[in-house]
Amino acid sequence: MASVSELYDVTWEEMRDKLRKWRDENYRNSEQIVDVGEELLNEHASKLGDDIWIIYEQVMIAALDCSRDDLAVSCLQELKRQFPGSHRVKRLAGMRLEALERYEDATKLYDSILQDDPTNTAARKRKMAMLKAQGKSPEAIRDLNEYLEQFVGDQEAWHELSELYINEHDYAKAAFCLEELMMTNPHNHLYCEQYAEVKYTQGGLDNLELSRKYFAQALKLNNRNMRALFGFYMSASHIAASPKVSAKVKKDNVRYAAWAASQINRAYQSIIRKCDRL
Amino acid sequence: MAGPELFLDSSIRIWVVLPIVFITFLVGVIRHYVTQLLHSDKKVELEQVSDSQVLLRSRILRENGKYLPKQSKRDLEEGRLSLHSATPCHTLWMVLNWSQFHPTTGQQPKHSSKAFAMRKHYFNNAESGFFKKVKRKVIPKNPMTDTSMVTDMMKGNLTNVLPMILIGGWINWAFSGFVTTKVPFPLTLRFKPMLQRGIELLSLDASWVSSASWYFLNVFGLRSMYNLLLGHNNAADQSSIMQDHMTGAAMPVPPDPNKAFKSEWEALEIVNHHWALESVEEELICRDLNFGGMVSRELKTTMF
Repeated sequence: MASVSELYDVTWEEMRDKLRKWRDENYRNSEQIVDVGEELLNEHASKLGDDIWIIYEQVMIAALDCSRDDLAVSCLQELKRQFPGSHRVKRLAGMRLEALERYEDATKLYDSILQDDPTNTAARKRKMAMLKAQGKSPEAIRDLNEYLEQFVGDQEAWHELSELYINEHDYAKAAFCLEELMMTNPHNHLYCEQYAEVKYTQGGLDNLELSRKYFAQALKLNNRNMRALFGFYMSASHIAASPKVSAKVKKDNVRYAAWAASQINRAYQSIIRKCDRL
Repeated sequence: MAGPELFLDSSIRIWVVLPIVFITFLVGVIRHYVTQLLHSDKKVELEQVSDSQVLLRSRILRENGKYLPKQSKRDLEEGRLSLHSATPCHTLWMVLNWSQFHPTTGQQPKHSSKAFAMRKHYFNNAESGFFKKVKRKVIPKNPMTDTSMVTDMMKGNLTNVLPMILIGGWINWAFSGFVTTKVPFPLTLRFKPMLQRGIELLSLDASWVSSASWYFLNVFGLRSMYNLLLGHNNAADQSSIMQDHMTGAAMPVPPDPNKAFKSEWEALEIVNHHWALESVEEELICRDLNFGGMVSRELKTTMF
């Protein structure tokens, strides 16, 4: 089998920089990471210097994703040898146990980390991820709530909680979590749009009006958010079609819906024109 | 203060100016490594982390609360919700399950879009608000008896102040009696006794300084060199230690959480909610959307 460097004609420095780019931007392309990383570690380990340890970690997690337990174990052994007694390495060992579905052993490992250092968030998050993986959503939600009581500022956790609530169809609480995210990231159009979608799903006139406002806010923050544009159109037309609204509200919403429809048409026209030109 | 320019012996340059620079620099580097060796990991308490995050959340609520919906107008009109009759919810979990505890109506209110009001209530309510209820047991840390603080102070003194005094004194003794260098800007006579230790010349321009002042100039001037070699957060950087005492507001763990809670409570009480999205649709509709850059020419499909 041809190696990555032969297939793509790249040097080991380019491979290392590519891995760093994937690391920084949080990519989850595990198969590619395994291909590139494995070759880098086997052929060019001595040239990597101190970068090698973080590459071991990155490749190990990718190997767990691709069920490459052999590669994962070898990476883990190197890390254990270099950093004995490190909590970060222990967490990786726990992740490997999770990948083998040995959940009780993994739980014991994470509990030992937490006994040593109660503020270690990584171990707690792994425990909650295990519950989610086993399908125990209510327990995961309960644990995540307790976690958030102590670490109120953890945005990743708030987002995860909102996802869990949406899966359980508890839209009111999902909206609360998304409000938390909107508060801390007021300029992120995606949170506004997700919040608007949850409100739209909840239904009822007030929620529809709220969702229309937040779709508009998402559009204001990012003009190219097509989902928000469609959402704006749908919520406006829904309100206009509802029998309980006053005439003024109806007129306003008809205007909004018409505007949204014309913008959607414009967008598709511009795409068609660009494609014709290509 | 004109007067003829003094010509200094060039051996002063070789044997005084440069050695002092080297000595200062090396002492700084040694100080950095010694501090790292003596450095003990500060164990952070869970409660401290939690408190600092709560304070951050309250501050963010004050700043960005205007992006959250305040309260559903219909609920207010029908009198179903009232801030004062709302059941005290003193944990976040209970706030999340707010609707189950509503006292006046047996059913759950349909529209729980009272985001800002709910959060302000959670923090500031007279009986159950977080800032009112939670009083952290603050053991005032007596600097004399608290062992960890005493050792920290000792270490700080040992690695920073002591070397400076020792080396400064040694330089003053070893390189005394002659003029070392001239500062490029004119100084008043007041500076003479400070900068010209050991040179008893009344008529000498205050710009001409002795070796001790050259040493102190180096201590502060070589900071950027330390940054270049040792990276940021190096222990040889003394001015940052002095800055730490001044920027108390930026410290992540306030030494007295009760005081911090009280000030946050006061700040939150006076804040009002002006919804930023009142007229967002009107603002949006008045112009066409900008779709620039929505379609890119090529899609990257390969790894490299």
